[in-house]
Amino acid sequence: MKSKKQKRQGDFQKVQLKVGKKKPKADNATNVNFKSKAIHLPEQLKHADSGPTTNRQLDIKDLLSKLHHVNSNIKQGALVGLRELLSGQPTLIELHASAVLSEVAALFTDKDGSVRAAAVRLLRFIAQCIPPERVAPFFPLLSAHLTCAMTHISEAIQEDALRVLDVLLEHYPGLLSQRHTVLLTNFLELISQKRKSGTGQDKAGKGAFSLTISTNRKVTAQQWRLTVLLRLGSFLQAVVEERPLEEGVISRIGLGMWAGEKGSVTPVDVSWEEHAFGKGKIQVFENSGAVPSPHSAYRLRPDSKAGGGMNKELCSAETVQGFAGTLVPLLLEIWVEAAGGDSVQTDSDHLLSAEAMALMFQILTILQLLRRLTPQRDQQDILDAWFRNSYLTDFKHHFMKNFPYGLREVARHKKKADGKRIRQQVAAGTVAGTNVEPLALNVTLCQVMVTLSLRGQDHIEAEDADWLGPIRVFIRETLSNGGKLSLKHLAALLEVVWRMIVTQRSRVVTDDLLQAVFVQYQQRNLAVSVRTLLLRFFSRLYIQEQQNHPHIARSRILACWLASLPVQLVQLGSRNPQLSAQLLETIHPAAARGNKDLLQSLQKNACSIYDPQEGCVVVLPVESQKRLVQILHFLPAFPAELLACLSQVCNTGRVSASLATMLIRSVHLRSPLSGCSSSLQDVPVKDVDYLSFFFTTLTGFSSEMLRALQDTDEDGLLPSSTLSPLSVFATTLEQFLHHWDIVEEVCHCLNTLGSRAQCFDVIQNAINKNLCGLVVVPDCVCAAILRCVPRLLDVNFLPSDTLLHFLSDCCLSMLNLLLQLEQSARKRDAVWEACFAALSTVPRLLRLVLQSFHVFDLCEEELPVLAQILSLLLQHTQLRNHMMANASLLQHIIQDLTHFYGGETREQWLTDLLYCYSVTLSGHRTNMGMRDIY
Amino acid sequence: MSAPVEVVLSADSAGQLFNCAVFDPHSGSEFLSYRGGNTSSRSLTVLNGEYILGAQLGKNFINVWEIQRKDQLQQKIVCPGIVTCLSASPDGLYVLAGIAEAIYLWEMSTGNLLAILSRHYQDVSCIRFTDDSSHFVSGGKDNLALIWNLSSVVQLDSSRTPEPRHILSRHSLPITDIHCGLMGPQARVATASLDQTVKVWEISSGEMLLSVLFDVGIMSVTLDPCEYFLFCGGSDGNIFQVSLCSTSLSRDKTFQTDSDGNQVFKGHRNLVTCLSVSMDGTLLLSGSNDETVRMWDVQSKQCIWSINHKGPVTNAAIIPAPANMFLADSHPAVPLPRFSRHLNPSEQGDTTGSGGVCLRLGANTQVPEGTYLEKADELYSLMCAVTDKSVFGDGENTKVRVSELEEEVKTLKKINKDLYEFSTQLLTKPN
Repeated sequence: MKSKKQKRQGDFQKVQLKVGKKKPKADNATNVNFKSKAIHLPEQLKHADSGPTTNRQLDIKDLLSKLHHVNSNIKQGALVGLRELLSGQPTLIELHASAVLSEVAALFTDKDGSVRAAAVRLLRFIAQCIPPERVAPFFPLLSAHLTCAMTHISEAIQEDALRVLDVLLEHYPGLLSQRHTVLLTNFLELISQKRKSGTGQDKAGKGAFSLTISTNRKVTAQQWRLTVLLRLGSFLQAVVEERPLEEGVISRIGLGMWAGEKGSVTPVDVSWEEHAFGKGKIQVFENSGAVPSPHSAYRLRPDSKAGGGMNKELCSAETVQGFAGTLVPLLLEIWVEAAGGDSVQTDSDHLLSAEAMALMFQILTILQLLRRLTPQRDQQDILDAWFRNSYLTDFKHHFMKNFPYGLREVARHKKKADGKRIRQQVAAGTVAGTNVEPLALNVTLCQVMVTLSLRGQDHIEAEDADWLGPIRVFIRETLSNGGKLSLKHLAALLEVVWRMIVTQRSRVVTDDLLQAVFVQYQQRNLAVSVRTLLLRFFSRLYIQEQQNHPHIARSRILACWLASLPVQLVQLGSRNPQLSAQLLETIHPAAARGNKDLLQSLQKNACSIYDPQEGCVVVLPVESQKRLVQILHFLPAFPAELLACLSQVCNTGRVSASLATMLIRSVHLRSPLSGCSSSLQDVPVKDVDYLSFFFTTLTGFSSEMLRALQDTDEDGLLPSSTLSPLSVFATTLEQFLHHWDIVEEVCHCLNTLGSRAQCFDVIQNAINKNLCGLVVVPDCVCAAILRCVPRLLDVNFLPSDTLLHFLSDCCLSMLNLLLQLEQSARKRDAVWEACFAALSTVPRLLRLVLQSFHVFDLCEEELPVLAQILSLLLQHTQLRNHMMANASLLQHIIQDLTHFYGGETREQWLTDLLYCYSVTLSGHRTNMGMRDIY
Repeated sequence: MSAPVEVVLSADSAGQLFNCAVFDPHSGSEFLSYRGGNTSSRSLTVLNGEYILGAQLGKNFINVWEIQRKDQLQQKIVCPGIVTCLSASPDGLYVLAGIAEAIYLWEMSTGNLLAILSRHYQDVSCIRFTDDSSHFVSGGKDNLALIWNLSSVVQLDSSRTPEPRHILSRHSLPITDIHCGLMGPQARVATASLDQTVKVWEISSGEMLLSVLFDVGIMSVTLDPCEYFLFCGGSDGNIFQVSLCSTSLSRDKTFQTDSDGNQVFKGHRNLVTCLSVSMDGTLLLSGSNDETVRMWDVQSKQCIWSINHKGPVTNAAIIPAPANMFLADSHPAVPLPRFSRHLNPSEQGDTTGSGGVCLRLGANTQVPEGTYLEKADELYSLMCAVTDKSVFGDGENTKVRVSELEEEVKTLKKINKDLYEFSTQLLTKPN
């Protein structure tokens, strides 16, 4: 216990502190004798998976959170950073589209201008990267913010909202056009305000809105309106263009008017060969044909499914009328102000400043678009009538007063002011719209006014004359003053012309206007697109409208134009196949309709069109060739020269064999001999010409060519010999086969003629006169004759000796040729087929051939050839009977052959021949023997 | 011999033996012949089962026979021009004739000329009615085929010119033949043309459904009643059969090779000018410029018989046999009126009978058939009824029936059991 106490005392010893002595250091005192430096962290450590960052190492989350910052500089910096980040890493856009778009859209209404500008830039960049279908889910949000900005109380924000609109219009017109209900009123409110209903000042004619003028904008009221109208115009354009096209409605405005149409059902297209060999399976009827296709123009029972969709709202005439009712008075007011503001300064009213002109042009464009908002034809008519009733007087009063308009020259001394103004315009983004040509303005004015003229009511025509007159004069002068017009203006002008022709129904007007168009058409050196446009205009005028409008059908200009087509076709040659095809597209139906002017001109130019050397029928592409061949069917007459041309066209090989057979068939059908055309009054093809055409086509060589051939000594020539009495001119394989196909068709046509005996007689005479006595004969001619004669030969008709001798010569030469042919199996087959048919069908021919084998005249080299020919004939079973009929002759020849050869060693050819001979004879004998037994 | 259901009616352009004659479709033996003149192509038609009308070749009149008086020419209708084609509506109320490029429409009850339609630019080559007489299709040498609605043509006031419902303008050479399928306004039309194609269109929408390109010009076309096959007569004498249903659907045909041979009817040597299929789709009739008419079996593509004519065959068709044809003492119900040659008879001073309207009271007319829509609805409800009954049954009725059947099963089972016991007893007893 005691020791414990002592211990405790030891533990708690009191340290005595004394004055003047230093205080001893505590045991636990810290030594502070060290120096330190601050650690600076310029950036934070990031995890590896945090994703890409900007130069400032901010990732997308940071940037987005910074957008909510109070300081506008930081917001702007974040926007710039976002743009940098996203352009570096495009994949991020897809990932964060929803966050980025919603944050950016919120900044449309930011109160700082630079932030808004940066937001628009970012939006533009994003829009380039994301396709419309991906933006669609976020679009309600975007458009809500846009609407918010457009209706914002601050005018600067309103202006910037239009830029947002620009971006969206450029990239997502389809999505934007679905929001038209909200946006259209927004547009109205940008330039106007609602009248107070209680004031009672507004007249009945004016709408519920009145124009506003605000003094504190940076730009003038006119410029502001121009910017708004520009956007409105492009917005309406988007609405019109993005609408799914209804069936049967061709856009009748602008370039589309004369473009091709397309059907709504894709028909099944098969050719017989494919089908016959089981390649093309046909399934024509959907639902096994019980339900008519949905494209049917009328319904047997009402369609239960009503087509829903937002666009429906703007399709009917009533809704458009409602909107137009408020818009058009405003537009008229703007017009008056634009026109009036200028006319104070000068006394020449029709001269306008560039700005006013741009404004007016926009007004007219919007009017035009309003009309096009309704897609259906009947609705469009209702709308036209409504416009006419409500606004014709206003339009006449304001628009037509100073028509046509011109541009006032701006004096140079206003340079400074101009510069300033231009700068302002750049700020307002209107530069694009300001440089409008006066021509464009005038043309658009015509377009708008002409739609107001009604179809075919006489009393109205008289009323309209006062304002349609100047338009007509303007159009005529513009078209016929020799200047070249751009494609767009010309299309618009043609549209006006079309409408005037159709509505006015007067021959004078029609000829007047068409004359002007024709002057334009006849200009040289037109661009191809312009030329095509004019061509389409005329051809559609002729094809579509002519039936309903006798004044168009009787038009002198149209007739003149039609008559000029074949000449143009000839002149064009192969230079522009597209244009030629376009021409043919008109010529063909016109010919089919039996248009007299065209047919006359066609007849006159037929020989040059169907010229075998450089005529259209050989130089154009296949489709056009086909059309040309089909047009042949409608030619009123086929003179001998034309038939000569056609025959050469068939044989020169520059049109395909199938087209050539089509050509032959159409000549055949036009001839009274074929028994198809029942009318006896007019004979398009004379019988003589018909037969000579067929004979020339059959031989494939004209008489001049054959004569020229007699004197040549080309490589292709095989010299004549005892075994080949004719000197054969070997044609190329291609030519031979082409000719072979044609011969087939010719034989078929000749076969169907009424009297076979007479027909054969004619052909026999022709052969005797033209071909017998030739020394050099092309192989294809030989083959053709050998093929044609047995097919045409009547059983009761005996061919003449001259013909038979010629045939036997041909046959022998061909057999000789056959042995030399190695290169083509097809040619061999064809030649053999021809020889065989002739030998087996024509009586006495085989005997003549055998008789012409004079063994003693042959030299040693020719003996094997003869033996080969003989064994060839013997081997063929179908010929065996015919050979047996000439057994004695055959035996004689073979005896001579063995005797004459007389060599010790039996050659292979001789063994073969003897073997064939013995087989044939023995077969024959057993047959005979069998017959004897029974 | 009982009267045949169908007969073959054919004519040739020579007219030496007869103008037109009626044959048995199965044997090819001749029943009747009508004499006098000859008939141009696509212009022989039977009106209302009582008259035969045929346009004279190259002349401007139409020959008319009463169908039971075969030897005697009844009358000649003089027309304003040479008739190129002729067609009577299946209900027997209207007659259409193509005269040069115009189509003339007569009303049979009065003989009035109701309309002259001149929308073709060249000669009309063929006119066909749909089977319910609501529409007709005309084809011309101007490459156009027009589909007309008969009622709109008839009922229009004179101030407006009638417009065709559809213009089919895809052919590039003259149209040679038209065939209208069944089903009234829902029918399909086949057009043949010299441009070597046959096209199938829909009447209701005017859209082209099918185009088949051949290597010869096609002179005639027809469809079988089920529209399984399209038969096309070529200018080389072959008849091509195009199957309109995809063969992949029928499992039986997988091993059959579709070679060229079994889809072509070969036999004619010249243009096949007319084709016709029998009601049951088994027989195909063809007439040709080689002066024969042939009957083919569609399944085997064999020629059953052929008849030689004295000239190119202009018309050949299988028609349902008219009731009056074989009753020599029958009379037409309505006398044939005088056909007027001008559009408005009153204006031409032709006052005879202009005020009178010929009425026929319904002594021997049947109850009017329902329209196609009604028929289709009826069929549909019938089909629905069958499926409803078999699948769902209808309430009380079936419950009773089910309990009845269960009862019966029970008794049957009991009888069966008794039988079994009885027989086992019988079998086991002798032991």
